Amino acid sequence: MAYVLIVDDDEDFASAAAMVLRRAGHEVAIELDPGRARRSMEGRRPDLVILDVMFPEDVSAGFRLAQAMREDEGKLRGIPVLMLTAVNQKFPLGFGPSDIDGESLPVADFVEKPVDLDVLRDRVSALLERPAGRG
Amino acid sequence: MGSVGPSPSVSYDLPLPSDLRTRPREDRRRAASLPESLLAQNVVWFCRLRWIVVGILVAFGALDLVPGLLSRLGLRSHPFWPFATAAALSLANIGFLAHARVAARSTPSRGAKANLWAQIVVDLLVLTVVVHYMGSLETYVAFAYLFHVVLACIFFPRSWSFAVTLLACGFYLTCVGLEEAGILGDAGIYATTTLRDQMHRMPGVRLLAALWAILTWTVVWYLASHLSAMVRERESDLTETNRLLIKAQEERMRHMLVTTHELKAPFAAIHANVQLLLKGYCGALSDAAMEVLSRVAARCQRLAVQIQEMVQLANLRSVGQASLRPSAIDLAVVIEGCISQLRSSAEEFDVRIEEDLRPARTVAVEDHVKMLLSNVISNALQYSRRGGRVGVRCAAEAGGGPSVTIEDEGIGIAPEKLPRIFDVYYRTEEAVRHRPESTGVGLAIVRHVAEIHGIRVRVESAPDVGTRFTLRFPPSEGDDEAERLGNGSADGVRSDR
Repeated sequence: MAYVLIVDDDEDFASAAAMVLRRAGHEVAIELDPGRARRSMEGRRPDLVILDVMFPEDVSAGFRLAQAMREDEGKLRGIPVLMLTAVNQKFPLGFGPSDIDGESLPVADFVEKPVDLDVLRDRVSALLERPAGRG
Repeated sequence: MGSVGPSPSVSYDLPLPSDLRTRPREDRRRAASLPESLLAQNVVWFCRLRWIVVGILVAFGALDLVPGLLSRLGLRSHPFWPFATAAALSLANIGFLAHARVAARSTPSRGAKANLWAQIVVDLLVLTVVVHYMGSLETYVAFAYLFHVVLACIFFPRSWSFAVTLLACGFYLTCVGLEEAGILGDAGIYATTTLRDQMHRMPGVRLLAALWAILTWTVVWYLASHLSAMVRERESDLTETNRLLIKAQEERMRHMLVTTHELKAPFAAIHANVQLLLKGYCGALSDAAMEVLSRVAARCQRLAVQIQEMVQLANLRSVGQASLRPSAIDLAVVIEGCISQLRSSAEEFDVRIEEDLRPARTVAVEDHVKMLLSNVISNALQYSRRGGRVGVRCAAEAGGGPSVTIEDEGIGIAPEKLPRIFDVYYRTEEAVRHRPESTGVGLAIVRHVAEIHGIRVRVESAPDVGTRFTLRFPPSEGDDEAERLGNGSADGVRSDR
């Protein structure tokens, strides 16, 4: 069983995703903004973070949190991030595997909303099975 | 009477648009002179011009070395001053260049102004020496001061150019005054002194000649500085307008993004919760309920796509040529990215993508090109039959811009329907039958991107055989093309027929 943190300002979507992941045997927590998410992660390190890009206060807050996690000297650094968004400013056409790099898209995987929840569950499982440090 | 309610310590006044348009006094002051970087460039340019003046002085001095030449021309021999002034000017010029190099490495902004002022003072001094030896009143050489007056008007604020004019007048009047007082010896370029002697006998004429020169410089200063200030102010206004346009474009892009997100996100949430019901997370449902929920889920997904396309199209329609931000791109790399994003669709439709991508550089807004190519490739995938093939080729064309060809072996389009496929929301009956979820916006996006960037789109098709899109990009002239287009961006995917 893994501990998964969902960071998304859309509580309806986050709750639905959480239900599917809990049914898959994971422990899931939801945070509705990046600031609280960071504090939560510092309190208890999740095995994986599902992170939205756009938040009401900052349209790129998700990217910023992902970058901050990568630059963190402490325990946030190696947490794999599955990015999840309906649309984003940095990659307005959506993003592909070639966009994943440490600087512009420092995440392990991405899914575009609307998403099939089975696909989301499978991606989460795949990321959790990866060797640590590849996120 | 005590105050009512809380007394907040921090306040914010909402600015009106008119407040943002009013240029601060500091900006206006800055507009009165050229930017420091431009002044620094011109320090070197002035030094190059000075070498020409040095050459002219040396050449003039060399004429005296040809025996009898000057006397035949009616000019007086001048064995010393042309070489002396050329040497002084050369030394000063070397100093200016050395200072410019040092200033460029440390503080170019302050160094440029000081350097230019030093150049002006030295030039005016040397010119005054030349004026004296050539003839301060009986020749037109004193009008060479005008060069400095006009250049000062171009490069400096009015107050500074007026100071240069006053300096020129001061040097000239001092020269004439010292000549009048007999402190400076007899000089002049003409071999005979008839003209000078006559002028000496007519003080009014001498006074008039000097005053006329001063008046001319002052009038030229007034006109040139006035025009120069007008041009600079206009340029400053244009820069400000451009800044506001770019800001408005960025705000529009942000608005488009947020609007798309705000419209799509609820459908994503509805879609996710409907899936909970469909996948049995909330218990078993009747077949009829499952069917209804399946329709709701499919419609949610389609609406999310439609919303994104409609916002993209609206954004493209309102995009102005001046707000585009083009860059040099390799179409092969862009296509590779588009195919990477559409790979899952190809698998879903069971269509094989065959690529032949050669380097094909052009200058365009990358997001627009991605949008165009993604839509055309997606279109080919959607209207292919299962097990079919989509070919994507790109190459640079000799003597023209690069071209991209995307062909499928799908349902094709009837000839009479070809002209309408780029209309927004138009879908052929065959297309609707083959792919009911198509939206009819994709090729309208293609048309708008093609119109913005001057990309020629040719469609060849035959029903039940397939369709070929050929995109011919305009030949780009490197950075010139980038400048022609300006700046900006947008986004998008998807397609329909």
